[in-house]
Amino acid sequence: MEFTLLGSVAVAVVLMYGVLRFEGGRTNAADCTRDVWDALITAAVIGVAVGRLASMIQAGTNPISHPGDILIVRAGVDTVAASVAAVTTYVVLTRSDPWWLADAGAPAALAGLAGWHGGCAVRDTCLGAPSDLPWAVAQAGSTISRHPVEVYAALLLGIAAVLFVWWKRHRPRPGVIAAISVAAAATARWITEPLRPGLGDDLSTWYAGATVLAAAFGAWITFARRSRDATPAEAD
Amino acid sequence: MAIAVLASLSFAACSGAASPPGDIDPLEPTDPAAIEALLSETDRPTVLNVWASWCAPCRSEAPLLRQASAEFTDSVLFIGVDVRDTQDGARSFIAEFDLNGFAHLFDQDGSVPASLGGFGVPLTFFFAPGGDLVHLHSGVIDERTMALQIDELLRR
Repeated sequence: MEFTLLGSVAVAVVLMYGVLRFEGGRTNAADCTRDVWDALITAAVIGVAVGRLASMIQAGTNPISHPGDILIVRAGVDTVAASVAAVTTYVVLTRSDPWWLADAGAPAALAGLAGWHGGCAVRDTCLGAPSDLPWAVAQAGSTISRHPVEVYAALLLGIAAVLFVWWKRHRPRPGVIAAISVAAAATARWITEPLRPGLGDDLSTWYAGATVLAAAFGAWITFARRSRDATPAEAD
Repeated sequence: MAIAVLASLSFAACSGAASPPGDIDPLEPTDPAAIEALLSETDRPTVLNVWASWCAPCRSEAPLLRQASAEFTDSVLFIGVDVRDTQDGARSFIAEFDLNGFAHLFDQDGSVPASLGGFGVPLTFFFAPGGDLVHLHSGVIDERTMALQIDELLRR
């Protein structure tokens, strides 16, 4: 039923808020939790809405003549459009201090994504391609065991979130955590996408491209700016 | 940016009418006995979708049904059952979403889904060859669930 989607959303929101609360006063400034939280939630809602609109337009449904269809998100959300819209919204909302606030929200966003994928247990949608691995499971009434692919995605993203919270304690350059978090999210999707059941287009190329771009951007922030900041004597 | 969005919406509106309702034949009436006979005779897995033109969630999943039926046209039999509807409404719906790639039947009193154990619309039933019910999905079906259940049918 549609309400199972709300279960996944609830798991995602709780995890995202939990990470933000944990980081407040530790790896984030104590007074920024509310601002980052507002920006993350707004970005997520706008991302889903834009992704749904893109999906409807691609399917040939006019959102103006059928506005109620926008709410039926289970019928399809375009992942690429949703991701671009969410990231853009977050950047606009945090433009006062974009690098620092991007880092502040990145691990929480990864934790939220992990919760969304882990919420497959609520929706009964964890399974993917057939597998003989010991931890593969079959759906009720079936003898075909399958990869619990959404659990893989949740674990990858959850591990990344924990690693980046730990990394932030070592004070990396502003923007590095955010850029590498985008690369990590795209990599998790790239790894798990071939194991997911689906119709039609394979989005792996998009995720691979996002991984490379975000990782290259993170490397540029880390190394190019470091070289520029160095004194001429040090640079020599 | 705004012009681009409006242009996209205009194109979407134009692309909605794939073929006029007048080109769609009236749907053949059906009942539980006829569906049972149809399912028991087919040697292919069957996806039976229950819809109605007045059902907003059915509108949302219609493009997915069109895509799935086109992709598995040789290996899976797709059947649409329109319930508690009018012939004009049904034909307009089929034309709007270009769903004439598979057969649709007309169930005036909604007895077919009730006989199969379903309640409400939309419903999607997945049957093995011979008519054994493998899975019933209630509500709007998403791409992952559709693909997974078809894969289950094809691997049996």
